[in-house]
Amino acid sequence: MKTGISGELLNISGVCFSYEKGKEILKDVSFRANEGESIALVGANGIGKSTLMKLLVGLYLNFSGSITVAGHEMCAKNLDHIREHIGYVFQDSDSQLFLSTVEEDVAFGPRNYGLSEDEVQKRVSEALDLVGIENLRKNKTYQLSGGEKKLASIATILSMKPDIIIMDEPSVALDPKNRRNLISVLKDIGGLKLIASHDLDFVMNTCERTILMDGKTIVADGRTEEILGNRVLLEAHGL
Amino acid sequence: MDSIEKKLLELNKIQDIQQRNHWMNSLHPLGKLLISVIYIFLVTSLGKYDIVPLILMSVYIIFSFIIGELSFREGIYRMRLILPLLIFVGIFNPFLDKNIVMVAGYGVRGGIISMLTLVVKGLYTVLAVYALIATTTIEDICYALRMIKIPKIIVIVIMLIYRYIDVMSGEADRIYTAYRLRAPGQKGIAYKFWGALVGQWLLRSMDRAQVVYESMTLRGFKGDYIPTKKGVNAIDVIYPIAWITVLTVIRIFF
Amino acid sequence: MHMADALIAPAVAGTMYVLSTGAAGVSVKKVREESDESKIPVMGVMGAFVFATQMLNFTIPGTGSSGHLCGGMMLSAMLGPFAGFLTMIGVLLVQCLLFADGGLMALGCNIWNMAFYGCFVGALLIWRPIMKKGASRAKIIAASIIGCVLTLQLGAFSVTLETLVSGITELPFSTFLATMQPIHLAIGFVEGLITSAVLIFVYESRPEMLWGVGEETKKEGKLSFKTTIIVIAIAAAICGGFVSLYASAFPDGLEWSMEQVAGTSELEAEGTVYETAESIQETTSLLPDYAFKDSESAVGTSFSGIVGAAIVAGLSAVFCYAFRFFRRKTETKTA
Repeated sequence: MKTGISGELLNISGVCFSYEKGKEILKDVSFRANEGESIALVGANGIGKSTLMKLLVGLYLNFSGSITVAGHEMCAKNLDHIREHIGYVFQDSDSQLFLSTVEEDVAFGPRNYGLSEDEVQKRVSEALDLVGIENLRKNKTYQLSGGEKKLASIATILSMKPDIIIMDEPSVALDPKNRRNLISVLKDIGGLKLIASHDLDFVMNTCERTILMDGKTIVADGRTEEILGNRVLLEAHGL
Repeated sequence: MDSIEKKLLELNKIQDIQQRNHWMNSLHPLGKLLISVIYIFLVTSLGKYDIVPLILMSVYIIFSFIIGELSFREGIYRMRLILPLLIFVGIFNPFLDKNIVMVAGYGVRGGIISMLTLVVKGLYTVLAVYALIATTTIEDICYALRMIKIPKIIVIVIMLIYRYIDVMSGEADRIYTAYRLRAPGQKGIAYKFWGALVGQWLLRSMDRAQVVYESMTLRGFKGDYIPTKKGVNAIDVIYPIAWITVLTVIRIFF
Repeated sequence: MHMADALIAPAVAGTMYVLSTGAAGVSVKKVREESDESKIPVMGVMGAFVFATQMLNFTIPGTGSSGHLCGGMMLSAMLGPFAGFLTMIGVLLVQCLLFADGGLMALGCNIWNMAFYGCFVGALLIWRPIMKKGASRAKIIAASIIGCVLTLQLGAFSVTLETLVSGITELPFSTFLATMQPIHLAIGFVEGLITSAVLIFVYESRPEMLWGVGEETKKEGKLSFKTTIIVIAIAAAICGGFVSLYASAFPDGLEWSMEQVAGTSELEAEGTVYETAESIQETTSLLPDYAFKDSESAVGTSFSGIVGAAIVAGLSAVFCYAFRFFRRKTETKTA
């Protein structure tokens, strides 16, 4: 549900977070992101990338600092609004696609937001068309290949027309052809994209800006070519 | 015991038949569910010596399998699951029920008749369920269940179980294969690994459930799931009414 | 131990549907009260998990055979009895609708025999009291084995009772029972062992995931009434069963004790389960005339009747084949 907001969509400032007391996962994380940007989130395993992304969609609310999504301050009463603007594509497509046909799954989000059936069908067609799997509309989820499942997962989010799309390791377990296909699909998707990935080549192809995380916080934020081109920087932070 | 691969194959086979392009598959699920339940009800309500109506009841099965282009072999194969109990329960009837029943002018021991009718009833009921599931997907049945006001929580849980059977069975297959490759010659999983092997998998599955929940809630899930509406055609009403009439006539007048 | 459609009379199936629906209604209400949507996906995924674990074979030490996990007990120990029960309903329904495992009409029976005892008796009467003061390895083993053995015994007992009351078998109650119970004693023991192994693993790695551990003070009053009712109902069922067993096996013994107690042996008319069942059947059956025909009234199925019926069945097969044959032809013609 695009707001038509132009300019700043994400504003994260001084965010600290821990699951258990005393075991801090994120410490003083701050960054801003604007409409139309494509940002990679890179860093070694267990550095808190996934946690940060889950904070952005409001899965954990007991953080300190402030998070603003599409103009809404992150708090329990704003969650419904925020989730209309931000979509999350999980790493495991099988967990993301919980209904047994592609069509039903892609329609799940729009229906929950109370859209009319005509509008829902239109959204489903558009979303499937955008990722190029309109032909799989009636298919059973279990019959899809890994690459098709990934595209279907993305379609389930696109049908909600979010301003911001967050993706966790989208290129994992894809063969080269599917990976290339995914890259071209991502280029066609507008809005703000935030992609966590270890696949630096994939990042190079899809994101113009890169945020590098280490030691619970952001250590570098800049143009992808500059950050990924800096071998010393990457190796110093476990990549 | 069936091997995992065999079970998965069976699962895929039935799911493939469910997706055929046959008019019986596209009938409204509620009508098909209703016919099946009423058919089974009428068959099991027949007395143990009622031979004639039992023979006539076969018309539904014959119709469903021949016109529905289903394989009798596949249907009968499902009998194996209930056969042991059925045989155990029926096998002693010929020795215990010594009443003489007149069949076609001959005196036959009642127990023999009751054993035969029991087996035939077992066959009919299993084939009727098979005819239903081969032409109706679980989503469709869930849709019918929603229509008859089964609580949505049960229906959603059924849909999720159905969705994750493939995923979990695949995991079971991999775990079992990985185990057997390192423990050759064992028939099953040895005692000391029971806990760790299944326990790990259980915890992993709980984590998966958490992700599924997050994925649902991020897309606006508030405890309900709305399926695509199905239209009702004339045939969806005529077909079940016709069958229920025929079956009831057989049941009452023969 | 799935019950088949053919083994039960409609009246029995209906009764069991009513009982299972009642238990499901209470469970739905309880789960809704918790208003925790995050439990729904857990129930779904756990249901699929139980389904999948039943494909695994566990070698039983000292024997060549293998066993399986007891789903109801494990689900209840993780999710609590109410969510566990609803999940088991889902599992049984999917088994029925995907593999034709257990019948449509017998579903009520199967839910009762397998899910109800496993979840309610296993969790509320065994698991929770034992875990009241916290869990330990020994307690988990004890609870799992007692729970599985007891729930399987109750399940087997119900299968026996349902079949007998339906008037399907000519087997005497005692013989049927004497065959069913010992088999399920062994199965229950093995299922208990497997279940305990899994639950101990959970306890040692993520103890907070186990249900009902150390709940001594929490909402005890709320459930105790229900628990009491369940205890009484089960006790009554068991008593009823055993009295009948005793009565059918040693009818003189019961008369004798009746004479000792009441000075009369008048109760002999209700001496066997079958007879009691017959009277229940006659009052409850929707089609009483047909469901329980005794041998005298069923005499005389005529030759012509059988031949006529067979001809009808045969003709319908021919017509169906012919229809299919010609339809195919026309299809290929137009194509």
